[in-house]
Amino acid sequence: MKAKTHPAPARWRTAKKTRPPRGKRSENKEKTRQAILRAALELFASQGFYRTTTKAVSRKAGIAEGTLFNYFKTKEDLALCFFERELDDVIQWYEHDSRIQTAALPEQLFAIIHRFLDRLAPYEEFIGAVYLRTLAPTSKLSPWSLQTKERSLRYLRFIRGILAKAEDAGDIPQVGDFGAHAFGLFHLAMLTYWLQDRSPGKGRTLALLDRCLNLGGHFLKKGGWEW
Amino acid sequence: MVNQNGQGGSALGRGYRIGKLGVSLMGSYLGYQAQNLLLGKESQPQRRAHFQQAASRRVRDELGALKGPAMKFGQMLSMQTSFLPEEALQELAELQMRAPAMHATLARAQFKSALGKYPEEMFREFDAEPFAAASLGQVHRAITFKGEKVAVKIQYPAIRSAIENDLTLLRSATLPTRLTGHVSTAVLDEIARGLLEETDYLHEAKNLEYFRAGLGGLPYITVPRVYRELTTERVLTMSYVEGESLSNWLKRNPARDLRNLVGVRLCEAYETQVQRLKVLHADQHPGNYLFQPDGRIGLVDFGCVKRITYDIVELRRCYDQRSWRQSEAAARYFLAMVYGKSVPYRRARKILPLLEQWLDTYRPIGRTADIVIDFGNRSRLNPAAKEIKRQYQRQILQDKLIDPEYVFVVRADMGINHLLSELGATVNVSEIARRVSAMPAPLP
Repeated sequence: MKAKTHPAPARWRTAKKTRPPRGKRSENKEKTRQAILRAALELFASQGFYRTTTKAVSRKAGIAEGTLFNYFKTKEDLALCFFERELDDVIQWYEHDSRIQTAALPEQLFAIIHRFLDRLAPYEEFIGAVYLRTLAPTSKLSPWSLQTKERSLRYLRFIRGILAKAEDAGDIPQVGDFGAHAFGLFHLAMLTYWLQDRSPGKGRTLALLDRCLNLGGHFLKKGGWEW
Repeated sequence: MVNQNGQGGSALGRGYRIGKLGVSLMGSYLGYQAQNLLLGKESQPQRRAHFQQAASRRVRDELGALKGPAMKFGQMLSMQTSFLPEEALQELAELQMRAPAMHATLARAQFKSALGKYPEEMFREFDAEPFAAASLGQVHRAITFKGEKVAVKIQYPAIRSAIENDLTLLRSATLPTRLTGHVSTAVLDEIARGLLEETDYLHEAKNLEYFRAGLGGLPYITVPRVYRELTTERVLTMSYVEGESLSNWLKRNPARDLRNLVGVRLCEAYETQVQRLKVLHADQHPGNYLFQPDGRIGLVDFGCVKRITYDIVELRRCYDQRSWRQSEAAARYFLAMVYGKSVPYRRARKILPLLEQWLDTYRPIGRTADIVIDFGNRSRLNPAAKEIKRQYQRQILQDKLIDPEYVFVVRADMGINHLLSELGATVNVSEIARRVSAMPAPLP
């Protein structure tokens, strides 16, 4: 019985703490947090993720190095926080945009991936540098690591909800969790393509994204796997 | 063109069908279209409904009338060669310059990709729904921060590289026919140039400005103004031109005088293009013209224009004088105009009897009066002459190595005539041609 109430490992809980309680003190805290993140992202972009030291980050953010550790235990935690923030943004944006919620499914999914890419665009170099390393199973930043588990689940639930709406409307057959997972992989693939895309304005990514989603939507409409 | 085996499908035909099945996400423009033909039976009506619901007057006309390089490609191939099976040609003809429709999010994303900012940051108002389809993209209404109404043409992303891929494929696919001389490399180069030019909206902007300056002497013609600061290779912002398609304009039953006036104006604008600007819309089709209730005319869509070196006045002079009868030198001169220099005189002159037959109807010899054509009756009155003209054109086109410019001018001529007959106007064409050639205005 005791085992069941055992608290989750500490590193699982860190992600939950991203939304601080209200109050001036926590407001300041959040400001410092954002300043650190901003400084870190700038350095990641200019120096590269692995060459950036925590010392340099704290200096750039104008805080003591010790203070930095109160906010982020490691550099990876910084990156995790960044991705967390991006996910938050996309979900919030989606929930507040009534037009996109009623758009056709391919457009909704297009908009979600595009929103991610659009927001990542300023940090393209940094993401390009860490991306391959993060796919290693041992990486803390891997989409399948324990540290990112909660974020992944939140993402999958978000996508699952969108797909479920389309299922209920009869636009697509039942794709269940599998559909969300498949879309997650597609999302990763598109990120890879985007990082490699050297066409003007990343037009090829837009075209590929649009065609894939339209084609996928079309096949699903025809009855899932029985087309 | 014609399936000469008389069987259900030549090897080429089968190859074509198989190839069509193989095209998927390779980033091919024609492939995408083929994919649409295969898969799109359900989504096509939807897409069409989507467009119409959003849109107004021009959409259907324009979709129906859009003839771009892909269309030109099919036409040219069918004119110049007999190497494609009939079914392939028919489908090619359907593959007009129609890019896939973009949903609002994609259009917005593509706008940012081209201009670096979202439309709402660059315009006071931006209509997320397109009001017209355009060559390789779609057109949205918008209002600038200064309050001016504009039309924003947005190109489907990465269409240029898709077309480049297609051209590479096309070149290898047509190698055998190029070796046999059925398709000349020059023709392919010309098609490639036209297609790629059309993907560059800066080029279209240049065309617009050229026409705007050149037709400035005709106050009843409106050519949109380009907003250079809001224009890139993939987004073209121009002033919004009021007006409706010819078919809609005609539904209001405009008075005969007004129709004649518009006919004269169309004719005059056309003559100005041919004689003085020496540049023509590559396709004279109704979708390029917008008509206003007071008889003013808007010209739009300058994606594909063609510069001509052809002296149409000289050609007409030869027609009227039957110059080829005078001497062999005169005949050689005339035929070189029609065929280019590469077709031997002996072969070329076979066309003359057919030509004379046609001219006897249209431009009878010794005629002193001006040619006044009642376009409203023309097609019904002269089916025989029409048939001769058709034969004449077919005859010319059957001979390889014909001067492409002559084909082009003849086609443009047919286009404007078609427009005038739809209008049902009576036009004194001689007088207009004379007036235009006497115009003193300096050229841009």
